[in-house]
Amino acid sequence: MNIIVIGFGFIGRGVIEAFLRKAERIRRLDEDFRVVGVSDSRGYVYDSEGLDLKRLIGVDELSQYPSGYCRGGSAEDLIEMEGVDLMVEATPTNVVDGEPGLTFMRRALRRGIHVVTSNKGPLVVAFHELKSLAEEGGCQLLFEGTVAGAIPIFSLVRESLQGDEILRISGILNGTTNYILSRMHFEGTSFEIALKEAQERGITERDPSYDVDGIDAACKVVILANALMNRDVRFEDVERTGIRRVTQEAVSLAKRSNFAIKLVGTIDRRIEVAPKLVPINHPLCVHGTLNAVHIEADLAGEITLVGYGAGRETVSAVLNDVLTVLKSEAKKKG
Amino acid sequence: MKFDLTIALADRPGQLIRALEPIAKNGGNIVSIIHEREEPSAGLVPVSLVVDFPSALNLRRTVDELRRMGIGIIRAEEIIDTSRLTVILIGKMDLKRLANAGVENIRIVGFEVSNPASDDACLRVELEVPTASVEEALDAFKRIAEEEGALLLSPI
Repeated sequence: MNIIVIGFGFIGRGVIEAFLRKAERIRRLDEDFRVVGVSDSRGYVYDSEGLDLKRLIGVDELSQYPSGYCRGGSAEDLIEMEGVDLMVEATPTNVVDGEPGLTFMRRALRRGIHVVTSNKGPLVVAFHELKSLAEEGGCQLLFEGTVAGAIPIFSLVRESLQGDEILRISGILNGTTNYILSRMHFEGTSFEIALKEAQERGITERDPSYDVDGIDAACKVVILANALMNRDVRFEDVERTGIRRVTQEAVSLAKRSNFAIKLVGTIDRRIEVAPKLVPINHPLCVHGTLNAVHIEADLAGEITLVGYGAGRETVSAVLNDVLTVLKSEAKKKG
Repeated sequence: MKFDLTIALADRPGQLIRALEPIAKNGGNIVSIIHEREEPSAGLVPVSLVVDFPSALNLRRTVDELRRMGIGIIRAEEIIDTSRLTVILIGKMDLKRLANAGVENIRIVGFEVSNPASDDACLRVELEVPTASVEEALDAFKRIAEEEGALLLSPI
């Protein structure tokens, strides 16, 4: 299969590195696995015979790749190249209009190119449209890396709960806010100090509103509701309260009655993201930057998954999605 | 539906058996009986029954028949399952408004306040709420908190 990787940031580079590390495993599924194109925001490199992955991860900027950097070329040019089978879309998330990823995904799916992504934006803005395009194009759209990083929530439901109906989902879906609330819970620090620590440790951006106002968690709630509960939920449908007003006193009062305050996303009668009281012996009550997803299914009952939701671990989810496509294509070929 | 049916029986042999008949006839399934023989007053013994009836109508028919038989009814009411609920409110908040949230049978069983005078006032309230009304109560609390400019933290 011929792969293109759109985006050469943290995830894009990490995925290419993983392709290299896991080359043997990949070749067992597909002898002709090649990364033929990689793009960044300013241009792309392309080689129909396959790019040299070692050299790719050796460069700081894509333009330093030894041959053929097409400055000014766009990811769309790569999508239009002959013989592309799978696109890994790893451009930065934009939850307002999903761009530029949304255009890339639409274009790829219309051409029958499988799409694997860790980019929430396009799925938040146009989940059902993209799903329909994938169906019409006879190709797969996989997005495990968009929610709770390496936690295999979509794969679990798709592969192991095929006969179940998912009745309710709740989860700690943002590692930054969980870090802040955990510091407040265990160390008795104020929200402001815990936030500063998170910024100093690089866990959150200079502008932390994406995390602390619950925007990131709400995006994940939208994707979970649409993908696993067949709802038609938009970002505006999520009732959203962040953690800025959570005081040290509130955390202490909660602690004294054996609760921890956590930013929880819930899909139920209500679709919401809000700080909630989680009993300290509940499986959702995880601390630090951990994420947890708790699902209630009609046959399986309650299942909780715990893991890291962002950072390098996300690469695991993207790689698994790529391998899932390779496997199903290998099966088709018999 | 479970009901507390407490009757007054004459302290004579055979009275209890007699009283059970209309209950069975009206579809009542007896969950428990407490026969308080050590507390007779004026020759009457109180007997507390918990009975599962298909509906309140079955209870009313039973009560009518027992009365016709000359058996005194001390209490005949539905037993409401209650759940313990903890909520935390951040911001100034009038505790009375929660108790009068418009949901029946809510009882405040405990609370703790910190910084009561400041805008960061923080209030933990323990309530007993009819199990069937928990969602309704949480909706009402949320609405009240919003009206008061406070933030409600409810349990998952």
